[in-house]
Amino acid sequence: MDKYNKQKEHEKFRQILASAKVGAPENLRHRIMQQIETEKALSPHSTKRKKERENMLREMAVIFGTMYAILAAMVAGVYFLLGKDFLLSPRFIGAAVLVGSIFSLLWLISRLDSHLRESKKIR
Amino acid sequence: MNENQRLQQVLSGNTSAFAYFVDTYQDMAITIAYRICGNMQDAEDVVQESYVKAFRNLRSFRSDSKFSTWLYRIVYNTAITHTKSQMWIGGREVAMEDASQLADNTLEINMNESERKEIVADVLQKMPTGDALLLTLYYMEDNPVKEIARITGLNEPNVKVKLFRARKLFKEIVVSNYGVQITGT
Repeated sequence: MDKYNKQKEHEKFRQILASAKVGAPENLRHRIMQQIETEKALSPHSTKRKKERENMLREMAVIFGTMYAILAAMVAGVYFLLGKDFLLSPRFIGAAVLVGSIFSLLWLISRLDSHLRESKKIR
Repeated sequence: MNENQRLQQVLSGNTSAFAYFVDTYQDMAITIAYRICGNMQDAEDVVQESYVKAFRNLRSFRSDSKFSTWLYRIVYNTAITHTKSQMWIGGREVAMEDASQLADNTLEINMNESERKEIVADVLQKMPTGDALLLTLYYMEDNPVKEIARITGLNEPNVKVKLFRARKLFKEIVVSNYGVQITGT
């Protein structure tokens, strides 16, 4: 019985308070959407991110492009000067790994540098 | 299309998909802001600011709660900041002539719709902001106590107690100011 009364009371409150809902003015939606569109258009985030990505890819292409060019030149030079067998020797493989490691380290340093610059800019 | 799909659309760059959320929730958002700010001008500014904040931080929204709860929480916090009010401490004094003795458990307002609307608006205006807001959230939007707790930052038992008191106070104000009891016709 008590539960029934409580439920009835809740129902009455619901009915009564439904009438007190404030309606948003018609132009509010337009105001909100306009501000959002404007902010999005003016926001530098998307263009900045795109630019960052482009820079990173360019850096990567330059560093690893040079690395592969040097490796190709090494392979060609060794093939014509010292013969095919030397290409499979541990000395040559060691030299190729060394070149690869140096360029990878270079790329790592350049990424670290741009990361530090970025965090300095934010601060 | 459900809300999560619409959110994904907005996140993937379709800004106009956000209009759905404005259309769906702006009435309740402005009701919450109006309860806290007390005037329509500030309420509109608060709602506009809240929607922009929601849009900016959409990536931080986790789908484990309802979008409406998340949005109303932003509206609530923005309105509090805007008015620099303290919701749950003190509150407006309500002039009542020991109405607690008059108010029993019944709730009767037998009158036409516009009169009833006027009375309800006036009573909510006379109530402390927090109490009026709780009644609004609980009865207008059918928010469960759990959602109200998330919106207001109170814990669930606290919401229940405050809701009980708010209902009691609402009835008391109706009786003391209008000498009538509220009923649905």
